[in-house]
Amino acid sequence: MLALIERLKNGLFGENPVFVQVLAMCPFLAVTTSVENALGMGLSTLTVLIFSNALISAVRKFIPNKIRIPAFIVIIAGFVSIIDLFLAAYLPDLYKSLGLFIPLIVVNCMILGRAEAYASKNSVLHSVYDALGMGLGFTMALSILAFFREILGAGTVLGFQILPEAYEPANIMILAPGAFLTLGLIMAFINNKNLKKGKDLLKIHDCESCGMGCDMPKPEKMNIKLDAEAIQKGGAN
Amino acid sequence: MTQILIPIAIMAGIGLVLAILLGYAANVFEVKQDPRVEELILVLPGVNCGGCGFAGCEAYAKGVALNGADPTLCTVGGPVVANQIGDIMGVKVNAQEIMVAYVKCNGDCEKAKDKYEYHGIMDCVSAAALPGGGAKSCTYGCLGLATCVAVCDFDAIVIRDGIAIIDENKCTNCGACVKACPKNIIESVPLNSRVRVACNSLDGARDIMQNCEVGCIACKKCEKACEYDAIHVNNNLAKIDYDKCTQCNACVEVCPKSTIENLLMIHKAKPKDITA
Amino acid sequence: MDLLIIFINAMLVNNFVLSRFLGICGFLGVSKKRDASIGMGLAVLFVMSIASIGTWSVYTFLLEPNGLDYLKTVAFILVIAALVQFVEMVVKKMSPALYDALGIFLPLITTNCAVLGVTFLNVQDKLSLGGSLVNALGAALGFFLAIVLMASIREKLDRVSSVPRAFQGLPIALITAGLMAISFLGFKGLI
Repeated sequence: MLALIERLKNGLFGENPVFVQVLAMCPFLAVTTSVENALGMGLSTLTVLIFSNALISAVRKFIPNKIRIPAFIVIIAGFVSIIDLFLAAYLPDLYKSLGLFIPLIVVNCMILGRAEAYASKNSVLHSVYDALGMGLGFTMALSILAFFREILGAGTVLGFQILPEAYEPANIMILAPGAFLTLGLIMAFINNKNLKKGKDLLKIHDCESCGMGCDMPKPEKMNIKLDAEAIQKGGAN
Repeated sequence: MTQILIPIAIMAGIGLVLAILLGYAANVFEVKQDPRVEELILVLPGVNCGGCGFAGCEAYAKGVALNGADPTLCTVGGPVVANQIGDIMGVKVNAQEIMVAYVKCNGDCEKAKDKYEYHGIMDCVSAAALPGGGAKSCTYGCLGLATCVAVCDFDAIVIRDGIAIIDENKCTNCGACVKACPKNIIESVPLNSRVRVACNSLDGARDIMQNCEVGCIACKKCEKACEYDAIHVNNNLAKIDYDKCTQCNACVEVCPKSTIENLLMIHKAKPKDITA
Repeated sequence: MDLLIIFINAMLVNNFVLSRFLGICGFLGVSKKRDASIGMGLAVLFVMSIASIGTWSVYTFLLEPNGLDYLKTVAFILVIAALVQFVEMVVKKMSPALYDALGIFLPLITTNCAVLGVTFLNVQDKLSLGGSLVNALGAALGFFLAIVLMASIREKLDRVSSVPRAFQGLPIALITAGLMAISFLGFKGLI
């Protein structure tokens, strides 16, 4: 029980995939045109995450290290195909609005990252808890952005008219630019809070935080200290 | 049943073909790399500052191992890394002098005058492009708009009272600030040379007296006081030859404008009379 | 004429980055320096073309005749990953200069949504081989255009220190992208 709560808190706040790790930008910007779409996408990703984390964790001892990344990708792709077919059959409206981004859950760095960072090293039960936490964190983030975009862009939330009829909706919020601008402002807000707490600015996930483990060189800053002896000795000349 | 077998067969087939292709390619297209390159990369600091003149630490490692580049070019790593490179490559490496960057200007807000109040892009390169070369009355002086701070990978430069000051503990002599300064006011000097001329101005004495309290007026008192022929005044500016300088402080004491400074003695220096 | 429409659609009207939101991570991550972004754009062009040919062939000759449309997610990602790995090895061996310019970006774009996205769109719109290639070309050039423009703006923006601290880095880049997206909306009536 404690493990579940810890994983939930981690996924929702500590290592929130969007607001802390800055992952999965593409679906984040694309599907948040309405809260309904956002919830649908978030829950689909959550489902894929739970199943793939569980399966990867179950077979983690049998996958050779060298081919683990392709193996993870195949497992995730399998579950994404299943969700794709499921949505096409039972939720056709959602399927039409999400369109291309359901199969693109495969390349959602968050799923591969969790598989690499957590599921391949922990038990099945804990991996499922982790998936729950991350998936709910992602859904929450999606809903927040979608809330702002929908309420300003259409005056509704989940189909219910919130703003008065006289409000002329700002269509640009529903279109592409609205996503960028809103996300930029939300990120600035989070940066502001982080700076006050003394944390670093947000930056796009780079090689260090990705779970992929490709062979790119990772620069590390070196701390160079000159000590008094070195100055005294001085490089001989 | 066939509905299940056919997709399995096709997917397995695709997987098998791709696996064979990749396995074959990994063998045929293997690139043999000199193992020394890997060792060199581990030894180098990995900051990718470009101070060696190569496009990053990996490029420098390749240059040293494959093209015989000078093993002493990494200023960030200094003598320690140079010796390690020498060990890996099996060559003898001469001991080097530690160099640091130095800003040749002491004309801060109190000591130097401004032509006008500057409100604009906080960037020295942009400000120096304006007519008059920026807001400072002395056209050779440090503008203090922090272009050098921005390019420093090591957080070694701060702007205090309107001029740039380099923290010699952090400076690695990578040369980024030297290239970035539009006034060419930053120079690489030996760390152990504590006596330095803190002025870059080629203006004559009359202009300097109007513009800055600590500018070099080319009075040549330092040149006359030096017993080691280490300091000369050319083009209205005194320059120290660091190879000859013995840091006796003779020039520091006679300079009427306190332009020449001994960095070990700053806290003991007495304020000089400006009209002297 | 059809090909020209496909090309313009992919490059300008429905720009992959600013309109379809594909390839954002790569776009925001690499657009800090102009030289790196030119390298990234060329690498994307390279990968998209090869991936389009490979996946179109697999779909047309293996999956579609057997009614295995639902396998395209798994099949495409396998084909793309393997092809890019293969090409990386070939380039590393054949042309070290090209590898230095593009090589480091290749693993980054293997799982980029833009590449997988363009292969899915080729199939979804039922394009021929030529059409798929032109679509990929247009998409890659659109990505190239967007990323180089973004890098040029960001380089100047990073020099100016009047960007408020909370906005530095990612937020101002997103807002810049938003303004670019507004300008690209102007292409809507083109076709």
